[in-house]
Amino acid sequence: MKANVFLLTPAALLGSAVAGHGVNYMNVAQAQQAIFPGKAMTAAEVKLTSEQRKEIERQGGIRQRSDTVKAWRVAGGGWFIVDEVLGKHEFITFAVGISADGSVHGIEIMEYLETYGDEVRNAKWRAQFTGKTKSAPLQLDKDIRNISGATLSSRHITDGVRRLLAIHDVALKSR
Amino acid sequence: MKKIALNILLAVSLCTPDSLHADENLFGFVYGAETLPAGHTDVYQFMTLRTGKDAGGYYGWDFETEVEYGFTDRFQGSISIENRYIRNKNVPGLDDTSHFTFGGVAATGKYRILSPFKDGIGLALRLEGGFVYHDEVDGLLEHDVYIAPTVILQKNFLDDTLVAELNLGTEWAWGKDPAEQYYKEFAAQGGFGISYRFARNWSAGVETHFRAEWPMFNLFHNFEHVVVYAGPTVHYAGKKWWATLNYDYQVYGTGVDEISAHQTFAEETRHVFRLKVGFNF
Repeated sequence: MKANVFLLTPAALLGSAVAGHGVNYMNVAQAQQAIFPGKAMTAAEVKLTSEQRKEIERQGGIRQRSDTVKAWRVAGGGWFIVDEVLGKHEFITFAVGISADGSVHGIEIMEYLETYGDEVRNAKWRAQFTGKTKSAPLQLDKDIRNISGATLSSRHITDGVRRLLAIHDVALKSR
Repeated sequence: MKKIALNILLAVSLCTPDSLHADENLFGFVYGAETLPAGHTDVYQFMTLRTGKDAGGYYGWDFETEVEYGFTDRFQGSISIENRYIRNKNVPGLDDTSHFTFGGVAATGKYRILSPFKDGIGLALRLEGGFVYHDEVDGLLEHDVYIAPTVILQKNFLDDTLVAELNLGTEWAWGKDPAEQYYKEFAAQGGFGISYRFARNWSAGVETHFRAEWPMFNLFHNFEHVVVYAGPTVHYAGKKWWATLNYDYQVYGTGVDEISAHQTFAEETRHVFRLKVGFNF
């Protein structure tokens, strides 16, 4: 009987932890309205060439995983982009609005599935990106404050915004 | 043994729904440099099977339950309790037995100096101290008090999907008798592992770990044994829990007064299997 006592401990623990879904904070339409309130948008089919991907990786400093960009043209100028970055285990889905002048208009975290680090949804932290252009360093502890305890998410979102600014420069602004 | 297998199956089956999600220990024996965020708690359950001596049948099961807490974003502490089930028959040098024993208790602190996510390389210091009441070879009585400081290095590559971890440490133990011949013992130990996140939530890799022991802290005239294990590891992590399954084979070992030239069995085994399950709160 002793075997049951020892080994059922993990079984009980496992059973008690059956919970936990990721959080989908907003859909595309909600993110669009949060960043560009009241603006009409038109979906744009953007397929990157291999040369564009290389240039994006050069400017962004990180890998461009997909050759497709989920982008919307904003009425009156500007772009709205939905993208993903790696979280610790899952992807973090986020949206970036870029003004007609090429600066960040705003960012929103749309889906966050990780155990820790959802402090990146904090409005003050996200506000640091507003006004950044492709010439900004966009690096933790330089022009973007790290969130202690959410370092991986902070860094990957910062890298992601830098990469989307490169996408805008390479593939969107001239369209 | 059937009961044990059944209970493990039950434990594993309870964690299979795809609605679950989590955090990490990529390897069975090698530690990473990350620490829990402040105010968060992890609960771990380790199950380790050590089996395969040079002759006879030997099964050493270790069941360790650990609770870990992030005191700050850089410092975490944990306490753990370990129990054992030892079964051996016709193993040279050991009496035939089949019994449960209370293994001991331990407390661990880990302080992160550098983060692998923003400092280029991760660096942490880990200090474990504990009391072992019955030894892990055949569950014999001892009153072993030990401390084990370890330096942990971690380097991430490819957007943090490829992770390499290196541990180097020592262990200083007093009270190994009467389970062992000597009262005190020094050990050098460590390991290296590399793991790649090949799919969402899934990582796989290899690790190796070693341990060398010198009774009476005498590094020059009292060598006891050295052992090196290596093997694959697979890791799943969701939002609320994670699991790591690891197998290690004794690739090299040598000990005093042992017949085998390339493996040591007095305190070690040919195979080690480890399942770790962790829950995040």
